[in-house]
Amino acid sequence: MKNSPIYDYMLSVLDKAEHGPVVDENDWDFNYINRTIKDLVKKYDIQWDAEVMVPADDDLADRLFEAGMELAREVGVYCLDTKRQMKWSQEELDYILSTAPKEEVLGLGEDKVTVRHRLPDEDSPITTIGGPYGTPVAEELFVPIMVSYAQESILDYIDNATLVSTHGRPIKAGSPWEAVGCWQEAQLSFEVLERVGRQGMPIGCAEDSPSAIGELATTTYGGFRLTDWHHASFISELKVAYAELTKSIHYQHTGAFSHNFYNTIYGGYVGGAEGLAVAIVAGVILMKATLNGTTFNPGPSHAHLSCNTFPAMIPSLSLGFQAISRNTKLMTSSFPRPVGGPCTKTLLYESAAMAVATVPAGISILEGIQSAAGRITNHVTGLEAKFLAQVGRASVGLTRSEANELVQHIIPLYADQQNLGEAIQGVPFEEAYDVETIQPLPEWQGMYEETCREMEALLGLTL
Amino acid sequence: MADVEKLQGELSELLLVEDPDAGLAWAEETLKGDIGVTDFFNLVFTPAMAAVGDKFGRMEIFLPELMDAADRAKRISEEVLQPMMAASDSDQELIRGKIVMASVKGDLHDIGKNMVVLMLRVNGFEVFDMGVDVAPRDILDKAKEVEADIVGLSSLMTTSMPYMKECVELRNGFGLKGNFSVIVGGAPITAEYTAEIGADSFGKNAVEAVERCLALLDRPAIE
Ligand code: B12
Repeated sequence: MKNSPIYDYMLSVLDKAEHGPVVDENDWDFNYINRTIKDLVKKYDIQWDAEVMVPADDDLADRLFEAGMELAREVGVYCLDTKRQMKWSQEELDYILSTAPKEEVLGLGEDKVTVRHRLPDEDSPITTIGGPYGTPVAEELFVPIMVSYAQESILDYIDNATLVSTHGRPIKAGSPWEAVGCWQEAQLSFEVLERVGRQGMPIGCAEDSPSAIGELATTTYGGFRLTDWHHASFISELKVAYAELTKSIHYQHTGAFSHNFYNTIYGGYVGGAEGLAVAIVAGVILMKATLNGTTFNPGPSHAHLSCNTFPAMIPSLSLGFQAISRNTKLMTSSFPRPVGGPCTKTLLYESAAMAVATVPAGISILEGIQSAAGRITNHVTGLEAKFLAQVGRASVGLTRSEANELVQHIIPLYADQQNLGEAIQGVPFEEAYDVETIQPLPEWQGMYEETCREMEALLGLTL
Repeated sequence: MADVEKLQGELSELLLVEDPDAGLAWAEETLKGDIGVTDFFNLVFTPAMAAVGDKFGRMEIFLPELMDAADRAKRISEEVLQPMMAASDSDQELIRGKIVMASVKGDLHDIGKNMVVLMLRVNGFEVFDMGVDVAPRDILDKAKEVEADIVGLSSLMTTSMPYMKECVELRNGFGLKGNFSVIVGGAPITAEYTAEIGADSFGKNAVEAVERCLALLDRPAIE
């Protein structure tokens, strides 16, 4: 039997990981990444005024795309397992980008969801996703926490939490426990869909699969479905591991939907805001080239705060999305990882800023939230994701210039608080929601309603 | 007595200039004055590097600049300070201790670990960085091989934390408890977890990592 062109292409990607030039990892970080990005920022004159939050300069967005494309072509991807540089010709990159669909349907039956490519300033609808995205949660709280998202009709679908334990045992990466954990994640997710009567809704998964084992074990009969939203990722900066290549080739074979993400690091080897923007664009192009997914999230992550809502990072992200949207058909997602946790206004403000800054930039999906930077057990609730989706949907139709002004109003509400550490981590789910009725407790509900009114007054949007 | 604060300021600026030799020449010149090499190391060199680290903390400089500064500092230490130390009969060593560091098995997160490695190096530790996804047995073998004083383990995920426990258990099981201490860290790691698995110390961030490692070796803290 003859292979399809795309299958042959995927094999050629795996070949690159075996036969590319051997490169020292340190050399990769310093010379291939840092030096090249510094040069590209100069060559393409990537800069904007410090107070601009949502750049609205098409020429700048297109120059950024060129810079990102040059980084993708000249540097490529580093395979961590083989220590080799994987490189693409412009022709290969053009080919794989040309195969990207402009629209895709996920889910089943009445719960089908369409994701579409959008242009900057366009008023077509966005897709919204809610969930803890890998934030650890206790076994007994997985269902109530996930229901708190799944029950919100404004959310098109959900993305799972990570289980702290499985059947009372630790989930150990790369061990049989990873398979056990992912099977439990799958079974509990189906219980969640059942509870809210949205059985066909796509599930962002598997979130208990740090190696490929969990994903391979559960994308099969009785496990996660092909119409769910499976993950494979890059490691910063522009690196990939066998585990992620394994997941990708599995998705290619099974036809499972693949979502790819990458956390480029602000303040790390890419440097500051301008370098970050170049890495965001290159990262999305190269995730398509390497992992061949259908939707793409480029992080990023602050080197100290682990968040992506730090004010200086917002224009990089917004501009990066514009560059990709204007020059490819790739569908991107914007994903706040705020410092604030549940039951803090900081969390809501950070999320609002991200929504307003990126929806007019031409993203396809608004998703979240990794509350409290996604690392504190049980510090996640559905209410913040509902709020994010509301602000996102209300921002559809804004122009970038309008959005710029609005974001400038939101930033001062949280900028000073991002360094407060534990003080803004908020409270765990059990203290923010009634675990039986799965409804927000009065304090969190009140804070949410107050912030909705504040945002309506400040932004002139109807939530 | 030399104005150490002024010297600190001068050195921290020199560590950030492109010219790799600028700091070297300056250190040689300064040490011809009335400051001894031990005082220079403790009162000028170490705090100057800490000040550069603070700049990174405030994002006034980024990781590559910090690492370049660390390289320059290392050269000053190796090419100027260590030879002088050896020549004088000071009994103080510039190497504060040997540390093996790794992100534990299953874990590919390395940003935080790299920062810890860097801060330990600039504070005079000899660090063997084993990278990411390292199996417990390999970590122990390395620690034995280099006769490490401390093993530092980083984990960012609840799913890789069990390998920290395994490292401690293997160390104890192989009768190596007296040979080296284990310090753990990473976003999900708490003091309670550290105690629960029997590790010896825990640090919240790179600065604490240095403090705790000094404490483990019973060395004075750095001002
Ligand atoms: C960046 C990032 C990534 C990048 C990593 C890039 C890289 N080169 O490291 C990428 C995209 C590759 C990634 C992948 C994944 N990630 Co991730 N990631 C993060 C994120 C956003 C930030 C981490 C970071 O670098 N912070 C900045 C540094 C400076 O902070 P730090 O690491 O905490 O280090 C400081 C201290 O902790 C301390 N420290 C650290 N180590 C040590 C060691 C010692 C001895 C001492 C004393 C101190 C110390 O000092 C450091 C400096 O101050 C976190 C979220 C978070 N809030 O932490 C999630 C997070 C850690 N990731 C998570 C997950 C689930 C994953 C994936 C499984 C996702 C997936 N579905 O594929 C994969 C796993 C890959 C693997 N096998 O490891 C979860 C973990 C949940 C859990 N189970 O506990 C988190 C919490 C986010 C989330 N909610 O999903 N991730």
